[in-house]
Amino acid sequence: MKPKIIIGAAVVIVGLVLGTVNFLESNVEYMDFTSAERTGKKAQVKGEWLKEMETRFDSQNVQFIFHMKDENQRVMKVVLEGAKPNNFEIATSVVAKGKIEDGHFHATDVLTKCPSKYEGNSETVKKTL
Amino acid sequence: MTVGIVGAILIKISFVAALVAAFLYQRNQEHTVFGGIGLARNSFHLSVLTLVSAAAILLYLILTHQFQFTYVWNYSSTDLPLPLLISTFYAGQEGSFTLWALFTALIGLFLIQYSARKGYEPYVMSVYSLILSFLMLMLVVKNPFAFIWESFPNDLIQTGTIPSGIPNVVILDEARSLWARYPFEGKGLNPLLQNYWMVIHPPILFVGFAAMAVPYAHAIAALMKRDYTTWIRPATPWLVFGSMMLGTGIILGGYWAYETLGWGGFWGWDPVENSSLVPWLLSVAAIHTTLIQRKSGTFVKTNILLSILCFMAVLYSTFLTRSGVLGETSVHSFVDPGMLAYWLLLGCMVLFASIGIGFLLYRRKDMPSAQVEHSLYSREFAIFLGAMSLVFVAVFVTIGTSSPIITTILKGKASAVEMNYYVKTNLPLGILIAFLSGIGQLLWWRASQSTSLFRSLALPSVLAILTTLAVLLLGLEEILIILFTFFSAFSFFVNLRIGYSVYMGNPRFAGGALAHIGIAIMFLGFVTSERYDEQRTLSLERGKPVEALGYRVMYLGYVPTEREKYAFNVEVERDGRKHIVSPTMYYSDFTKGLMRHPDLINFLSRDLYVAPLSLEEADDGRERRYEIAKGSEVSGTGLRIKFEDFDLSNMDKTTAAEGEIFSLGVRLSVREEESARTNKISLFMINSGVGKPRFPSVSYTTAKQTLYELRLVRIAPDQEDPTKSMIEIAVTVPEESAEERNGEVLVVEASVKPLINLVWVGTVTLVVGFFLTIVRRVKEARIQHDDVR
Repeated sequence: MKPKIIIGAAVVIVGLVLGTVNFLESNVEYMDFTSAERTGKKAQVKGEWLKEMETRFDSQNVQFIFHMKDENQRVMKVVLEGAKPNNFEIATSVVAKGKIEDGHFHATDVLTKCPSKYEGNSETVKKTL
Repeated sequence: MTVGIVGAILIKISFVAALVAAFLYQRNQEHTVFGGIGLARNSFHLSVLTLVSAAAILLYLILTHQFQFTYVWNYSSTDLPLPLLISTFYAGQEGSFTLWALFTALIGLFLIQYSARKGYEPYVMSVYSLILSFLMLMLVVKNPFAFIWESFPNDLIQTGTIPSGIPNVVILDEARSLWARYPFEGKGLNPLLQNYWMVIHPPILFVGFAAMAVPYAHAIAALMKRDYTTWIRPATPWLVFGSMMLGTGIILGGYWAYETLGWGGFWGWDPVENSSLVPWLLSVAAIHTTLIQRKSGTFVKTNILLSILCFMAVLYSTFLTRSGVLGETSVHSFVDPGMLAYWLLLGCMVLFASIGIGFLLYRRKDMPSAQVEHSLYSREFAIFLGAMSLVFVAVFVTIGTSSPIITTILKGKASAVEMNYYVKTNLPLGILIAFLSGIGQLLWWRASQSTSLFRSLALPSVLAILTTLAVLLLGLEEILIILFTFFSAFSFFVNLRIGYSVYMGNPRFAGGALAHIGIAIMFLGFVTSERYDEQRTLSLERGKPVEALGYRVMYLGYVPTEREKYAFNVEVERDGRKHIVSPTMYYSDFTKGLMRHPDLINFLSRDLYVAPLSLEEADDGRERRYEIAKGSEVSGTGLRIKFEDFDLSNMDKTTAAEGEIFSLGVRLSVREEESARTNKISLFMINSGVGKPRFPSVSYTTAKQTLYELRLVRIAPDQEDPTKSMIEIAVTVPEESAEERNGEVLVVEASVKPLINLVWVGTVTLVVGFFLTIVRRVKEARIQHDDVR
């Protein structure tokens, strides 16, 4: 009976510790460009794509480059490792995940948010009349 | 139109009938009252009949393109082929709830017969009818038969006389001359869903979801009857069946993501995937612990608890993915269903959790607590530990998926966990599970044999070491991966050995061993395909071969496929053998974005996976780009171009602020180097409010009749310091001064996934194992019933 309880308790404790540590570690915090710059940590920055600024795909380095204005109106160049995310043009806001390096935001991931993406709205219903 | 109103009424009847059935079944558990079991049964049958009719009406409306219904308009269109048109039935929330309810109702018909034979009907069916009534309540709230003018009254409902010649008009109120227009075409189905996976994957998953209600109903019935042991046998086939369907659904979903959606792998730890994985893990744990209870009468409470949790996990995952709580943290778009549906989902979850857990706590004193006397080396303990590991995986996945909720509570801002959270937490548990699925089976089997543990361990261990060494030859890896590989191989050989001798004895009993072999093969496939995969991003200029990943890769060009889609043909060559992969890309009106679908070649030993990233148009070498700061000039094309100032002559400030159509210009002075003539020109950016801004080209002819084209590429005004404003322009130079041409370039992400076939072979083996187990358990449940009689 005893060793089983010890093994069981050990498994549970190790599991809980492992889970908590990993959970906290892998939860990337939301912040603005300024705090991301200050902490130098990996961060998630929510903002808006600036259509009129440089937006291009660099096929040599496979990077998608655009400019983003965070919620405190600070503009920064974002370099995403990869291609242009889906729905980029119609996104109402974008969330870039990464860290600030050499004066630009180096993103590993960019999520696009389109609240009415798949739901019909009055604009679409008028189009199908 | 009337048929839709009938549909809505049928759903309400079905809801009430299910609720009445639940009540009557409950009342008739001990005594016969209110017309007895017969009336309860009729009430359930009425609920099923009305629901089936409502579903048939919905299908009819979809097939006949009745776009006066919001649901039909929202998810289908006239250009869909029949199978896809049928699949739009469950493309949205209302329809998928209908499908879930429909499967629940149909399973209920079997369950009446099944539980009546075992004397469980009033107990099982009272709980089950309550579940059905809640699903129906969801449909009463989220009515699939809503009219489109009810959804968009401001846009569609009009008053006054109807102008002649307007099609698709419906008169709503003759007295008040109220009428509405409705669409002639639907919005269509999301292109990501437009493939055959959409036809088969969701129904299978929903059968699994529906089936998970049966073990729950049996567990509650056991608590009601205070009979904590006999429920296991009738409940087990349903548990295994639900588990098999869910498992199949998950695997198909994974293959869908891999083959069509271009996620790069078969598993992305996405909330939608996770939410079907958790109930599956719990059901597998429950299958194992119920097995011990059959043999030794222990784990009575655990089994009831796990059966309850399986269904809770189904409800919780529905809540997570349907209530909009995950909001902005996933690549999936989660539709906000409205507050009423949100609270209803939450209420449903809380209700069934309190019934289950509350009842369990209430009865805990009453339940036999069999002495657990198994030693550390007993098969029971190994199985229990394995089941607990599965529960732990389920808990970790649930916590990870719920991260947006947890972080909202803790930090006030929702954030999702990264993918590596799942890998890091689950890998140690995976090792444990692999080990236990080998050793547990060995201990189990040894009980009926007389060989020593040491002798039966020896051969599988040696073979597992050899396998691990073979994998290590591919390259060094971290210690946890080596352990995972070793124990997976160990489990494979142990189960192969046991499976063989069991099969020789009685083939029908080989299900367990086969399922474990499947899992072990899958685990090995995870290691080879995810840890030893190689990935390269390639820029492929048309017609120019590139060496990569051991292949000669060449982009051949693109060809149109169906409906303005394009297939990009890429030739890959290795050892003189040529293959063509054709990933596709197209612009979708539905998502207003570029859709990309990968393509792959499945070799026996590996997959070559090619995901398209972008196409860079051919460049004729005539276009030059320059960045110019305000007040400075550039040269090099024969023209000296100076950026003088912004040109706001065409800009109306008010419309610009509203995001309507506006144009922003720049004034340039252009000096011709040959003739020293200077001209002023303006270039504009026109923003129409939707989509990308346009930059029209302006022709410029010099004194010597040389033709240039100028165009703005971007504008970067600096609000604080206007002198720091920048623009980028493109100058198209005459043919004679063109530079070297650049061909069309296709950018792809190519990867090689070694032995990924192991994953698919493993999953098929697993499902076959499940199937054999169901056959065996159904027979067993039948035999038990004969004994009772």
